[in-house]
Amino acid sequence: MTSVTAAAESASKTAPSSKKPRRFLRGEEITAWWFVLPSFALLLIFVFYPMLQAFVISFQNYNLVGSTRSFIGLDNYKSLVTDRDFLASLRHSFHFAIVVIPIQTAISLGLALLIQKKFKLTGLFRTLYFIPVVISTAVAATVFKLIYNKEFGILNNVLKTLHLPTTNFLSNPDTAMNGVIMLGIWKGVGFFMIIFLAGLNNIPQDLYEAARVDGATKIQQFFRITLPLLNRTTAFVVIMTTIDAIKLSGLVFVLTSGGPNGATETAVYYIYKMAFQQMQMGYGTAAAFILFAIVLAISLVQMRLFRNAEH
Amino acid sequence: MNRFASIAKYTVMTVLAVISIIPILWMISGSLRPYEELFKYSSSLNIHLFVPVQPTLANFKEVIFSEGNPFLRYIANTLFVAGSVTLLVLLVNSMSAFAFAKLRFRGKAIVFALFMSAMIIPGEVTLVPNYLLMNYFGWLNSYKALVIPSMLSVFGIFLLRQFFAEIPDEILEAAKIDGASMTRTFSSIVLPAAVPPMITLALMTFLGNWDSYLWPLIVINDEKKQMIQVAIATFSSVEGTDWSKILAASTISTVPILILFLFLQRYYIQGITMSGVKG
Repeated sequence: MTSVTAAAESASKTAPSSKKPRRFLRGEEITAWWFVLPSFALLLIFVFYPMLQAFVISFQNYNLVGSTRSFIGLDNYKSLVTDRDFLASLRHSFHFAIVVIPIQTAISLGLALLIQKKFKLTGLFRTLYFIPVVISTAVAATVFKLIYNKEFGILNNVLKTLHLPTTNFLSNPDTAMNGVIMLGIWKGVGFFMIIFLAGLNNIPQDLYEAARVDGATKIQQFFRITLPLLNRTTAFVVIMTTIDAIKLSGLVFVLTSGGPNGATETAVYYIYKMAFQQMQMGYGTAAAFILFAIVLAISLVQMRLFRNAEH
Repeated sequence: MNRFASIAKYTVMTVLAVISIIPILWMISGSLRPYEELFKYSSSLNIHLFVPVQPTLANFKEVIFSEGNPFLRYIANTLFVAGSVTLLVLLVNSMSAFAFAKLRFRGKAIVFALFMSAMIIPGEVTLVPNYLLMNYFGWLNSYKALVIPSMLSVFGIFLLRQFFAEIPDEILEAAKIDGASMTRTFSSIVLPAAVPPMITLALMTFLGNWDSYLWPLIVINDEKKQMIQVAIATFSSVEGTDWSKILAASTISTVPILILFLFLQRYYIQGITMSGVKG
């Protein structure tokens, strides 16, 4: 009962199931449901139900302190659209994203290309580049806070040695975001390097052989073979980076607490502040929905752009 | 590759490697030096910027045995939570991954699609309702709030299902003929065959929980119960000036994870590669 069933099964996948006797064994079906039940229950209770709840709450004036709840229609959304602090927080998130997306993607791809060719120390370099990914957000942000310190921080030390002006990134509203961006890139690059490596390894080597025979230079090979064939990987990396960047929160919490003067208050930080410091649950949730809609729209546009690039 | 190009390539690689690793080396070396020394050598570039002149373990002692900030306790709390979540994630998600890969039941495609659609629901949107749910269950300030909602891993189901699908049906059939129940088959044939992806999922789950910051910050308010990341962040804002202690606390919470990662990095990297596949 081996190859016969296999053949029957592959046939049943293509043909409608009425063609063969119903092979849903009651026992198997019940067992299957038992196997799926725990995770399905978790999915319903902690993902789908909260999602519906979020939708309802975002139309309410819901303050946890006085536990008042009242339906106010679109008021939350209306005030958010003109809420200066919220718009500023969106701007900060976008500032972060627009700088990080190209730089981080380029560095990740560069690193992947550098260590793609196997030589003695490849493994070591790959590990070194990847270590920042494993360092936890809170620790990385704490250590960088000390590195950026104007008096004693190692960064200014290096700048001084190179006779460059020293700065105190984090206490100046104009430059604080740069401090967050540098930390973000330092921590994020290794992750996407791995994704690019996987993409590079999927490109058949004989294409390069053929190109070399035809006399293509390294640079031509990169633009004519590597980049086009990496299109799907690049799309994935760019979309993931965008989503992560716009949803930036953890680093900001620890590195700057949104300061100085609210200059690094990102959208998720603002949502947290509204919901859990001012206890405006409805307002915070509506803000989260707006953010989610923006992220979704951007991802869809990016997918479309990459798909067009393929043709 | 001519010589000049390869020298340039190595130089770039080394510089980038140094940038990747310096903050961590600086953290570890700083944790081993007295407070005064940390500043004494910080204004110029010399070897002692990184190499302690008088290495000391005093910072670690103070951090570990301090009354106000019992770091070992935070580590134990986090180990307990991250460990429990990891075991439960492996159990719960491998079960449903197996059902999706190998069992036939009505509605399978729809249920699976529901799971996958959960991937696009962002945690930020469900943050408030989940908090209210914890409040309603009376789980605030208890580890139930950290463990139970974290037991589901849609990525884990996706990852393990890919793997289980490759197990030949004949083996399962043979077990059935031998009279093994489905549960028995699952626990003694399927799971042992799936050790590599299970390690991948375990590692990703464990590190994710070791790293979690926002959720514990929201649901746990008793300091004694707090997770390590929140403790470190609080510690560094309270002890604002005592750098060597802050670095010692950061080192204590990082080095074990780093060692774990170095041993199992192959599995971790496989997991990331897999997450790129679904894109």
